[in-house]
Amino acid sequence: MVQIDLAEVPVRQANELIREYGAQGEDIDIVNPDARHHIGVGLTDPVTVRLHGSAGYFCAGLTDAARFEVESNVGWGLGDNMYTGSVVVGGNASAIAGVAIRGADIVIRGNMGSRAGQVMKAGTLLCGGNANFMAGYLMYGGRIVILGDSGERVGEDMAGGEIYVGGKIQSLGSDAKMGDSEGAEIDDIREFLDRYEISYKGDFQKIVNEGKKLHYKTSEQQMRSIPFVAFSGKSDYWNPKIQEDIHIKSQIGRYRVRGYGGARELPHLSDITFAREIANLNEISDPVSKVEMHTLIGGKHGAQPLDLTMPVMIAPMSYGALSRSTKQAVGMASSLAGIAENTGEGGMSDAQRGAAKQLIFQMLGGRLGWNIHDMKRANGLEIYISQGAKPGFGGQLMAKKVTKELAEIRGIPAGIDLRSPSRHPDILGGDDLLIKVEEMREATGYKLPVSVKLGAGRIRDDIKIAFKDGFDFVELDGMQGSTGAGGAEVMEYVGIPTISAIMDALDGLAEIDALGDIQIILMGGLRDGVDAVKSLCLGADAVAFGNATIVAGGCISCMQCHVGQCVTGIATQDPEHEKRYRPEIEAHNIHRFLESVRWQIAALTHALGYDNVKSLNRDDLVALTPEAAAITRLPYRPDLRERPSLVEAV
Amino acid sequence: MCGIAGIMFKNGRTDHETGVALIDMLDGCQHRGPDSTGFALYGEEHRNELKLRFLVGEGAEANESEALIKTALEAHDAEIVEDKRVGNTYQAVVTFDGDLRSFAYAMEHAAPDAKVISIGQSLDIVKDVGSAHDVDDRFNVHKFKGSHGLGHVRLATESDVRPESAHPFWATGFSDVAIVHNGQITNYWKMRRRLEQRDFEFRTDNDSELVAVYLADKMAHGAPLREALKSSIEDLDGTFSFLASTKDEIGYAKDNLAAKPMVMYENDDLIVIASEEVSLNRLFPGQALNTKEPPPGSYDTWSKST
Repeated sequence: MVQIDLAEVPVRQANELIREYGAQGEDIDIVNPDARHHIGVGLTDPVTVRLHGSAGYFCAGLTDAARFEVESNVGWGLGDNMYTGSVVVGGNASAIAGVAIRGADIVIRGNMGSRAGQVMKAGTLLCGGNANFMAGYLMYGGRIVILGDSGERVGEDMAGGEIYVGGKIQSLGSDAKMGDSEGAEIDDIREFLDRYEISYKGDFQKIVNEGKKLHYKTSEQQMRSIPFVAFSGKSDYWNPKIQEDIHIKSQIGRYRVRGYGGARELPHLSDITFAREIANLNEISDPVSKVEMHTLIGGKHGAQPLDLTMPVMIAPMSYGALSRSTKQAVGMASSLAGIAENTGEGGMSDAQRGAAKQLIFQMLGGRLGWNIHDMKRANGLEIYISQGAKPGFGGQLMAKKVTKELAEIRGIPAGIDLRSPSRHPDILGGDDLLIKVEEMREATGYKLPVSVKLGAGRIRDDIKIAFKDGFDFVELDGMQGSTGAGGAEVMEYVGIPTISAIMDALDGLAEIDALGDIQIILMGGLRDGVDAVKSLCLGADAVAFGNATIVAGGCISCMQCHVGQCVTGIATQDPEHEKRYRPEIEAHNIHRFLESVRWQIAALTHALGYDNVKSLNRDDLVALTPEAAAITRLPYRPDLRERPSLVEAV
Repeated sequence: MCGIAGIMFKNGRTDHETGVALIDMLDGCQHRGPDSTGFALYGEEHRNELKLRFLVGEGAEANESEALIKTALEAHDAEIVEDKRVGNTYQAVVTFDGDLRSFAYAMEHAAPDAKVISIGQSLDIVKDVGSAHDVDDRFNVHKFKGSHGLGHVRLATESDVRPESAHPFWATGFSDVAIVHNGQITNYWKMRRRLEQRDFEFRTDNDSELVAVYLADKMAHGAPLREALKSSIEDLDGTFSFLASTKDEIGYAKDNLAAKPMVMYENDDLIVIASEEVSLNRLFPGQALNTKEPPPGSYDTWSKST
């Protein structure tokens, strides 16, 4: 047994000591905790940690196997994302106790605050006193036992799991109903109570999911095969896209969900060109050797930065929307090209980790697949706030893709139409976000860059928060970004174009005198090295390709990603379909595409008169349309519209 | 984007170390807002006098503002009992017995570069950029003795880091009313327009100022602080936890979603409320406190005994 006095040792140092002692199998006594945050986060050894006093936010968060005992009270997010192990709290717990747990025992002898057990997947959360409102909000599994009163709206939008209430049920939440409990369940609870020496002889009422909101009433219809050019419906008013849209709605009686990118014409990078004439790029011999493209991303606060051979990354795309083989292929391609890959929502597979040399691990509001072990083997951590194709929404994964295996990784019931929560349980403002970012850093010893993915909406404000909250970089996603599934109207009409996003971001930073102080990775419908160079000129530090890499890897752009029957084996979880996808071959196809991007970036940078991509700047650009000129404040040069396209020059 | 703190010593005496307590509490939650810090302090009541504090800045501009303020005070029959410059502020104690709201607005317009921070018989607000200790260094907050007070640390995410956008906010036009707020009022413009139609003036676009004016308006119509807090939960949309204080009371209100944290501790001698328990523990180091978390959509008030 060792002792740590938090009146003497700062939490950051204490957490390092706790992990060191844990590795040695040594139990730890903590005195004078005085409600400090992040105590014990990141501990993954089966030792006992006793806190003599109160703990602050995220006590025992992001841990596995350890046993925590807290004498008095705890702040928000007790046992956040715990895998196994236990926490016993002698006093009260604040909001979101047991948030996102995956299997631990959480015992609170006093009362617990609102939204306890939000997005929990497994394990037991027990409250000896009364619960505050919305206990079991959005829970996917596991059980909550409340010996006192339930609080209002208990079980709000739960998708799975059980809630047992000893006292009064104040009101049931949406999609929750009373259930029948079997003797064996109650026996199991009594055994649990005995184990933690809690005497309770009363009865229990049980609350379960009502099942009204887990599925769309009618499933998504297969679309006709309309080529994207026709689908984007540029010329005709009642074009095939509009007709199809009406036909499908007449069948399903609701908004549509589809995959792929937006098809509405919007101001984009193609409405911008280079100020100087660029022709015959092919005549530049070996431009890659002439231009410095090496880029470090995310080292601002002392973490190990991502080391990119060019200012390019892979955009976040989930294992779930995409098959395991596809994520593996993209990962391999990223390694071949010397850039970074990103897990997107839904966890990290071994195949993906093995394939990608540099991998960013993304955390979403549902905490699907999020866990301390994969955090520790990531090269970067990322908080997803939203994405360009559907800002303000969480991920969507239709039932067909929510297979047993996938559901297990995510910790959710199989076969539901998954609409991931759009909000994070513990991020309701810039102040909470600050504490959350610190939790992630504490848990991983401040070694990894922490980034934020922002879908373009109120970017001017959001980027300021990102800067103030100390992120290492921002992944900024415009409206032209694609998605595996999203409401069709949302994809077309919500969000702001990619070129507006970067301008708003830079303007926001300029307002607080922080231009250049946080790196921006721009994405959202970038198609080639030309788009990449224009983005860098506008002020991005790097760019990311999502859909382009999928197309490079065999996507036929049928826009049926949401259905789950992808004929190429890309956007599917059906093993029969996935068989068609050959990751080694597609990895090389994707890699060749990335090399073409590299060549274009180098050739254009050279042609613009520079030997380093960092020299690219706004003066290199002009706008071809009044809209693009208004958005970017670049000189308007309609006379250059007739100039041969750059793609032809290459 | 902030941390809040409030303390009241119940016995009504004004010799408590209120300044030190608030500095400690705010230092405990400075991580919630490192950009600016402020204090609303309630000391001994000056029965027939008003304490005024203006933000005037430094140098020649400040001298000019001070001169203009003095002229305006004279024009409104407010006689200066004592005055001084502290940091970037000008402070005056005056005798005045006219209509406070019009006087306050006149003071606000007295000098183009000056801003009224607070007016009250016992209230004094100090706020500036920097940490609790930075602000203490400039304004000697630790020397302040009183019966109760509020504190605030701010993370400036939507506007510049400027002293005038720091909290607490004085309810412009209403003596001795101050608030500190953590959260966001989403029907800000609607509520502000309503109040503006009734000739209220707003000094900033900060939604926290709205909370202060809203409460003061209710109280001016005769509602006790308790009633004003109750109606605020119905009338204000958004996510908020705020603390409000008057000459004799301190109170809180918390939105219906409980989206912003708040925790409190009460014993026979005092009531302390803060965003996080870590602030409360600063006053009782090493002790496990029996704290309480107010439920969503709740409010409460405490009065000092007089």
